[in-house]
Amino acid sequence: MKLGIPKEIRAEERRVAASPTTVGKWVKAGWEVVVQAGAGVGASFPDELYRAAGATVVDGAAAVWSGVDIVLKLHPPEPGEAAAAMPGTTLISFIRPAQHPALVEELAAAKLTVLAMDCVPRISRAQKMDALSSMANIAGYRAVIEAANRFGSFFTGQITAAGKVRPAKVLIIGCGVAGLASLGVAKGLGAIVRAFDVRPSVEDQIKSLGGEFLTVAVQESGEGQGGYAKEMSQAFIDAEMALFREQARDVDIVITTALIPGRPAPKLWMADAVALMKPGSVVVDLAAEQGGNCELTRPGEAFTTDTGVVILGYADLAGRMPGVASELYGTNLAHFLDEMGGAKGFAVDHGNDAVRPALVLEAGEVRWPPPAPAAAPAVAAAPKPAAALAPAPVAAAAPAPTKKASGHGHGTPVLPPSKTAGTVMAVLGLVAAIAWLGLRFGKPEATVGVGTAQLLQHLTVFIMAVFVGWQVIWNVAPALHTPLMSVTNAISGIIVVGGLLGGATGSLDAGATVAIAATLFATINIAGGFLVTRRMLAMFRK
Amino acid sequence: MYLSTAFSLGAYLVAAVLFILSLRGLSSQATARRGNLYGVIGMGIAIVATLTLQGLDPHPLLIGAIAVGAIVGGVMAARVGMTQMPELVALLHSFVGVAAVLVGYSIQLASRGHLDLKTSIEVYVDVAIAAITFTGSVLAFLKLRGSVSGKPTLLPGRHGLNLGLLLGLVVCGVLYVRGGQTWALGAGTALACVLGVHLVAAIGGADMPVVVSMLNSYSGWTASAAGFMLENDLLIITGALVGSSGAILSVIMCRAMNRSIWNVIFGGFGADAPKPAGGAAAAAPDGDMQEIDATQLATTLVGSQQVVIVPGYGMAVARAQHAVRELTDLLRGRGVTVRFAIHPVAGRLPGHMNVLLAEASVPYDIVLEMDEINDDLPTTDVVIVIGANDIVNPAAEDDPSSPIAGMPVLQVWKSKLVVVNKRSRGAGYAGIDNPLFYKPGTKMLFGDAKSAIEGLLAAVKAA
Repeated sequence: MKLGIPKEIRAEERRVAASPTTVGKWVKAGWEVVVQAGAGVGASFPDELYRAAGATVVDGAAAVWSGVDIVLKLHPPEPGEAAAAMPGTTLISFIRPAQHPALVEELAAAKLTVLAMDCVPRISRAQKMDALSSMANIAGYRAVIEAANRFGSFFTGQITAAGKVRPAKVLIIGCGVAGLASLGVAKGLGAIVRAFDVRPSVEDQIKSLGGEFLTVAVQESGEGQGGYAKEMSQAFIDAEMALFREQARDVDIVITTALIPGRPAPKLWMADAVALMKPGSVVVDLAAEQGGNCELTRPGEAFTTDTGVVILGYADLAGRMPGVASELYGTNLAHFLDEMGGAKGFAVDHGNDAVRPALVLEAGEVRWPPPAPAAAPAVAAAPKPAAALAPAPVAAAAPAPTKKASGHGHGTPVLPPSKTAGTVMAVLGLVAAIAWLGLRFGKPEATVGVGTAQLLQHLTVFIMAVFVGWQVIWNVAPALHTPLMSVTNAISGIIVVGGLLGGATGSLDAGATVAIAATLFATINIAGGFLVTRRMLAMFRK
Repeated sequence: MYLSTAFSLGAYLVAAVLFILSLRGLSSQATARRGNLYGVIGMGIAIVATLTLQGLDPHPLLIGAIAVGAIVGGVMAARVGMTQMPELVALLHSFVGVAAVLVGYSIQLASRGHLDLKTSIEVYVDVAIAAITFTGSVLAFLKLRGSVSGKPTLLPGRHGLNLGLLLGLVVCGVLYVRGGQTWALGAGTALACVLGVHLVAAIGGADMPVVVSMLNSYSGWTASAAGFMLENDLLIITGALVGSSGAILSVIMCRAMNRSIWNVIFGGFGADAPKPAGGAAAAAPDGDMQEIDATQLATTLVGSQQVVIVPGYGMAVARAQHAVRELTDLLRGRGVTVRFAIHPVAGRLPGHMNVLLAEASVPYDIVLEMDEINDDLPTTDVVIVIGANDIVNPAAEDDPSSPIAGMPVLQVWKSKLVVVNKRSRGAGYAGIDNPLFYKPGTKMLFGDAKSAIEGLLAAVKAA
């Protein structure tokens, strides 16, 4: 299978879908990789590095799009960008299908299979593929750096021979991945950091990073679906605004990251709050692309208000760190490719709950939105994290996946129904049906013994039980395999029923004696098996 | 049908459902205990319902047998050490086998040779499978206990021998079904016994987890066969549940070793493999094993952030799990993150290591499976391998000529430092040399697992 990495053509974009390191791993895993010449230049990855990693470097985007099985990109394609792709080519990229219906139509007409990295669900298993979080983490880091760049003082407080400098005060609004990343960085630079979020569950995460959790007196949880916040009541918003106005007089830097899925960013930092801020203060609005949390934000621009407050509305914060952004995005892609079967078994599996929600088009057929309502937030932008995300994502590290805590449950192999077994059964059924027709109308007087009828009945029960057993056992946690064995051991002592039937004939002839011996052994098995299982299970503690 | 008989059959249905719920309960630690209880209740219902069937007259000796059996089983379960679990499981399998053989004979004897065709076939099949289970399990028990060498016994022409035994079984079966004589049944039983021994004898020690789970499966099919013979649906259902359970466990174990089940059953793995195989030859000259002493290791551990412990059979043999747990507590108390990495075939029984660590009160949420932890190993400061060998052998990935090539292994060599505790410099249970020991990032801590870890414990306390 061939992977293709074209150069991103959006203006000012310096990121690329994969770094040479990632490409090297793919080549090792058995993929062929084609990279457009100059694709990585903006991220300081010259073509030679890609060549050294084992990729073929070709000139022109068309050569990449037309010659590979899977195209890996960062931004949704511009109109006409995907024109060179052959029907059936797979495109994995940010798509934002809800916002770009025209793009989806164009790609559908080209008969492409399209998977949207922005639609990967936010379930813990898919965290390693969560490119939104990777980018948000970088954006959060960069937001503080940009703020520090514009801010005319230290972050950390200092007492010097020349006098005392008080520490900067930073207010972070919205503590998702980006907000927490900002919090960690600002704290690391020595600032006093306060953080506000409508979801009470993030309080611990804020505190663990050394932030101060701000809250309002109104009791209302802003916990929405998939880790996002929901819109709040008017009373709550009033209290919130009062809090922000009070904070505006005090803080030097405000970083806003609040988003509600599928809606414009909520306006939280109003013009009057900006007016209350000291001259020289900085507002960084990470929600600029969705309209901004600050009333005055001009998306994509930096400007200074009449009162001397700097408002940064950059929409490309993650793109300002192209090297690490490309590296992390490429790793997300690599995990996604692995999830889809890797170089050997790459396929679109509708049963995979980490892949299915991201599937937008399949060979031109629209597959989006996904059927299950439990799937990820459909419209996603710079995100807020699932509450499960550990208070770890700081600096350049990828959001540390919260380690799956316990040694059980996942990794349960889900077996696709075996095709051969299905075929065999279908053929057997057909043969039986034909034979029955032949007998019914050919030799209706033919009979079988009672024994055969009973045998068939028992066989039915037997096969059904095998199926039930097969289904139930695959769900057993691997850590419990030894108890499983001892419990099945005890249960197979059910043979005792045979001994009981034979030993209860009223006499003590040879047959009954043997049956009594059988009962003895079977009972040892039952008692031993159940008791030892009990002993073992009593030992498992959290 | 008497009303009471109908009632008994209803009770059987309830018992069967309880058994299914019992297995279902094992899908998580939280529900496992309830699952076991369901099993007990189901069994109780089945026994009472059978004993009270209309027209049955239980002999006092029968009740005596139940009482004695329960006491013997209870004492065995209470006395067995967690490290001897594999032996106990194998022994219990053999009891199922012997019980089923006896049930078959009791039907044959009670009928005085007047069985109809269908029943006689069923009796024969039941006895044959049961006898294979019986002798196979006894041999597995002896091998696990160490009374018999774990090395595979490979007779010349063993496939032919298996085939011959199978043919003999069929011939005796035909004779028995036609004539109904007990001697034909006896001859068949003897042949099945030999077959059971021969099948298990040919399987090497490292494949013991597969053998045990396969015998588990056989014991289930035995019960099912008895159900056909006795026209008893409860036996059929329960046997099928157990049979598929064992079969799945065997498949899981085989997958974990990247080998097909046929290869395990007939492969004689562990002896066919030429000892100085590619792996050893290629790796040994690369360097020497470097030793580390407890004090050095203790200093490194205390200064680490991420420590992963990989336990293997060596820990079970030395009963070092309590010392390991103490070490874990001590390190965790000093702010070191300690986790356990469990390979699916570590030990001699599926899930063996989990049970041992649970016995030593290691919290189960820091005990992780191979797939969960392999990605974290590169960022791990120290990996301590305790008495494990093949499951951390890089030859499985790098050396296509290695007998374990392609088996998924814990990639411990990717961490910053690997410390391997081993009793001696010898090869692993499977007889394959391990290039891991010669890597520059690997240090050896020789000695019995228990004394080595206890030494380490003292050093950490002093550090």
